[in-house]
Amino acid sequence: MTTKQLDDMQNDCALSVGEDVNRLFPLRNANLLVTGGTGFVGSWLAEMAAFLNDCHGFKINLCLLAPRASDFRSRAPHLASRRDIELIESDVRSLIEVPRETNWIIHAAGSPDNRFHFSHPVKTFETIVVGTHSLLNAASRLSALQKVLCLSSGLVYGPQRWEDVAVAEDAFTALDCNNFANLYAESKRAAETITTAYRSQYGVPVLNARLFAFIGPYQLLDRPWAINNFLRDALRGGPIRLQGSGETVRSYLYGSDLAFWLLSILVSGNIGGAYNVGSPMGISLKDLATKIADDAPRRPRIELNTLPSAKVSNTRWLPDVSLAQKQCSLEVRVPLDQAIRRTVNWHAERILQPQ
Amino acid sequence: MPKILISDPTLRDGNHAVQHQLTLEQVAGYCAAADAAGVPIIEVGHGNGLAASSLQVGESSVTDREMLVTARKNLPHSKLGIHVMPGFATIPRDLAPAIDIGVDVIRVACHCSEADITQRHIGYVRERGRQVFGVLMMTHMLDKDRLAEEAQKMESYGAEAIMIMDSAGAFLPPDVSTRIDTLVRILHIPVGFHAHNNLGMAVANSIAALESGATILDGTARGFGAGAGNTQLELLVAVLHKMGYETGIDLYKILDAADLAEKNMIPVIPTIKSISIVSGMAGVFSGFAKHVQRISAQFKVDPRDVFFELGRRGIVAGQEDLIIEVANQLSTRRAAPVAEVV
Repeated sequence: MTTKQLDDMQNDCALSVGEDVNRLFPLRNANLLVTGGTGFVGSWLAEMAAFLNDCHGFKINLCLLAPRASDFRSRAPHLASRRDIELIESDVRSLIEVPRETNWIIHAAGSPDNRFHFSHPVKTFETIVVGTHSLLNAASRLSALQKVLCLSSGLVYGPQRWEDVAVAEDAFTALDCNNFANLYAESKRAAETITTAYRSQYGVPVLNARLFAFIGPYQLLDRPWAINNFLRDALRGGPIRLQGSGETVRSYLYGSDLAFWLLSILVSGNIGGAYNVGSPMGISLKDLATKIADDAPRRPRIELNTLPSAKVSNTRWLPDVSLAQKQCSLEVRVPLDQAIRRTVNWHAERILQPQ
Repeated sequence: MPKILISDPTLRDGNHAVQHQLTLEQVAGYCAAADAAGVPIIEVGHGNGLAASSLQVGESSVTDREMLVTARKNLPHSKLGIHVMPGFATIPRDLAPAIDIGVDVIRVACHCSEADITQRHIGYVRERGRQVFGVLMMTHMLDKDRLAEEAQKMESYGAEAIMIMDSAGAFLPPDVSTRIDTLVRILHIPVGFHAHNNLGMAVANSIAALESGATILDGTARGFGAGAGNTQLELLVAVLHKMGYETGIDLYKILDAADLAEKNMIPVIPTIKSISIVSGMAGVFSGFAKHVQRISAQFKVDPRDVFFELGRRGIVAGQEDLIIEVANQLSTRRAAPVAEVV
């Protein structure tokens, strides 16, 4: 990674924190554990912790737990080599204990990659459900524990109806538990139920964050989501292909905003609560593709309706984040245009960087 | 008018019918004619797809490279497609060079219950920015719900459309309707259908697929394809035009292309022979017919018995060597004393 890329990410964190660093003061001198800590979410939490330590003297000791933590050393050496970041190589499914001095936990283990869910449904269920059970069991024995934030998914609500503007935290619809495609969402629902059980029976101070869609450096371009595909196609020179007319609506929160939101909810969220995390500002996939194309090194062509289809399947997936805004004073601080530009540039530099 | 995308595997499935001996001249001639007719996608290659030329399933008379380069040169408008089965085709050795030659549409295929094996190939094609369809073969062997799960896997891997193949020509129209209807309902990408004509149902099944929501159909000139052949392309186009569908294909020119194909490269027009009916009834891949007949003659057994036994065992493409085992066992059983048989 280049110095410019590192500086940019530090600036991103500064922008997301803004003048509200005091909200995170409870994390000073604390031991923070992040499971699944080497993915997109974990990497941005590490960037944010490094920023808080370097620029605001927080002295957070961050522990990243993941099954292949060693990969992180090659992917993010500037983080992995820090003295205030420790890597623990462990599979959350078989977790027995966590560092006893842990004060705060963000449980991010479990890939959202639906290719993995479809190919390995049993492992997906185990990682999410058994993993959450193992972690909370270990957490229940921690004497210095303040709070555990479990990362769930906006998919737990079931499909959002097109006519609904956004999904609020109480907008549950029934999922068909025998539908193969609902396995991830059902696993996340079961994991949330386990958090309720541990809070009720053992008094574990746990709450949930339901994540929607995100953008930023560390996003892998081979992932099966529209924005990743658009970025990959744009950086390759195009074309960007969209099935249908591109009216499907999504929203994207930038990585540094995501990290600040999660730490803020960890500190300020109510135990037993659940908070939507994502951008409330929707954008059609057609407009998203156009913005990405505009920022690409060579502007790619955008192709709509690439194949004839028997049905129009435009969908909308937007969070109502008024609860997080009200209780934790959160807002989007990296505008989408800037988020796209930063992400395109980050990937372009990595691609152009000599190996 | 509703739009239907026609994909033409005459130069791929038809290769089965001539033991993979299509020549470059034949490829060039048909490509030029089909392109002129406005066929959107022309698929070429060994009958079993890219890199399948082998002793086991038959050796091609020309290399994949020669065939693709020739086709590319003669397709100024139509997209060039290939059929790719992981196991035959590897990414660096076969798929990457094919894309470099200029293949536009890659149809990554597998047995109907094995979608997991297509992830890397589909992912690679998306990385290279080409269009990729997932193809599930021998789909009569799975019920609609299991088939939908396999199709969902392919969609998650990045497939931009799903084709289901009636590789054995075993379907009747309700079999097609129930499967296509489920896939169209569950998937977010277009669904297509590839028929074989063992039971004389290829056009009827294609129309059933269409009426259940499929928007991509395969057809080959004169039905040139494995076993009893495929849906007859020029006939399908005529029927679709009569039904009011838009294919973008010029009827007269596709009729001319089919005439040319018959004259230049189809030694025997596919008909529904007795063995093909048995193959369809048994639910065994149409491409087995020539192997079954040859091996049955060698072991002096009834090829119909061989087909039904292969069907009972659920044999699929790639297991051609089991034809010998089945024929040998039938031969041995027949030769054994009655007391031992019972």
